[in-house]
Amino acid sequence: MGKPAVSLNNLVVCRRCDAVLTKPQIEPGQKAICPGCSAMLFELKKNPMERTMAVSLAGLLLFFPAILLPMIGVTAAGAHNEASLIDCIVILLNTGYPIVSLIVFLFTVAIPIVHLLAAFYIALAVHTNKISRSLFVFFRSYHVLDSWTMLHVFFLGVVVSIYKIVELAELTIGGGLISFVLLLVCSTLVSITLDHHYVWETMEQAFED
Amino acid sequence: MEAEKQQCPRCHRTFSTRKRDSLSHTFAWTIAALVMLVPANLYPMMIYYSLGQPEASTILEGIATFVQFGMYPVAIVIFIASFIVPLAKIVGLFILMYHAKRASKLTVKQQGQLYHIVEFLGPWSMLDVFVVTIMAAVVNLGFLSSIEAAAGITYFGLMVVFTMFAAESFDARLLWDAQDAQDAADASANSDHKLESTQSDSLKPDSVNTASKREIS
Repeated sequence: MGKPAVSLNNLVVCRRCDAVLTKPQIEPGQKAICPGCSAMLFELKKNPMERTMAVSLAGLLLFFPAILLPMIGVTAAGAHNEASLIDCIVILLNTGYPIVSLIVFLFTVAIPIVHLLAAFYIALAVHTNKISRSLFVFFRSYHVLDSWTMLHVFFLGVVVSIYKIVELAELTIGGGLISFVLLLVCSTLVSITLDHHYVWETMEQAFED
Repeated sequence: MEAEKQQCPRCHRTFSTRKRDSLSHTFAWTIAALVMLVPANLYPMMIYYSLGQPEASTILEGIATFVQFGMYPVAIVIFIASFIVPLAKIVGLFILMYHAKRASKLTVKQQGQLYHIVEFLGPWSMLDVFVVTIMAAVVNLGFLSSIEAAAGITYFGLMVVFTMFAAESFDARLLWDAQDAQDAADASANSDHKLESTQSDSLKPDSVNTASKREIS
């Protein structure tokens, strides 16, 4: 393995502009800001893992109603139709668009679920101090998946669709959409509450001894 | 470099000084995206059946319909997300690749910002694909009115994914290399670097020095 020439423990790199800076000492509840680009370097939170566990578990439970219950429906001249997120994907698949269907499935269902599961597992493992080698792989993958979840884009898509449908017919909003909004809130809260520096430092210390 | 085989003490991943063949990969994905952009705009995204009458609409035609109905906010959102953003991403990627090859008038900070904008915009151009997905599933009232997805959606979806791969495979450190090469060329560098973090200045790796100098410019 070999130790690097300079001790990395008192250095921090800005995630936005890649500037290398000496790590400032901060109190719990404070944030460290990059002097170059004003991005947040890191912050210390009070009992961070419990919050992450709570919101990621809530998000995982909300996934079932969010993808299975109908999101929006239309009524016109006595005819009625409604669709859930899974219906959307299945209809694309059945009408001959397997690639798009796969893309939508990955970005709105598969990757967000894995993302939430990873967050829950990491928070649980760090909280109970059961840190294994596989956790490093998990946390690295968590960072990669970050830019591939598109729940927020899908939600904007729903809003635009609602605008379009209102022009055509009468619109109903189903439990699926409400669950989806709550899921979106949970998934955003997971990203906000998960304290990356705390997780890395705990894992690092666990393997130093 | 001996750092090549070292592991990161924090995440246990092997170090690499630069991504391998980063420019070639970025170039390939960007070209692929550019190729997809053409059918994505020429083929219809969806077909609207009203009383059995089919009416196909491409991305731009869809936006034109919104403008006709006077729904300007939605028209602007769709126009930006599905027309401006994909185009801007591809242009931005070409600019970045060009500047990774030769030093430019743009500062490294500006180029870095361009890279992060391109990366951030990535998912948002998926908007139109999601809209068509939802519309095709929800608006399904048989003969009265129904919406079906059309060929353009596949090309558009692939185009977005390709630009995301392109941004992912681009190694932002190549921008530093181009800048450092130029700095070395005109070595008459002035000595007025008012460094805020003087401690980091004394550290050995030259990347630290350039990084702290850069944040002030």
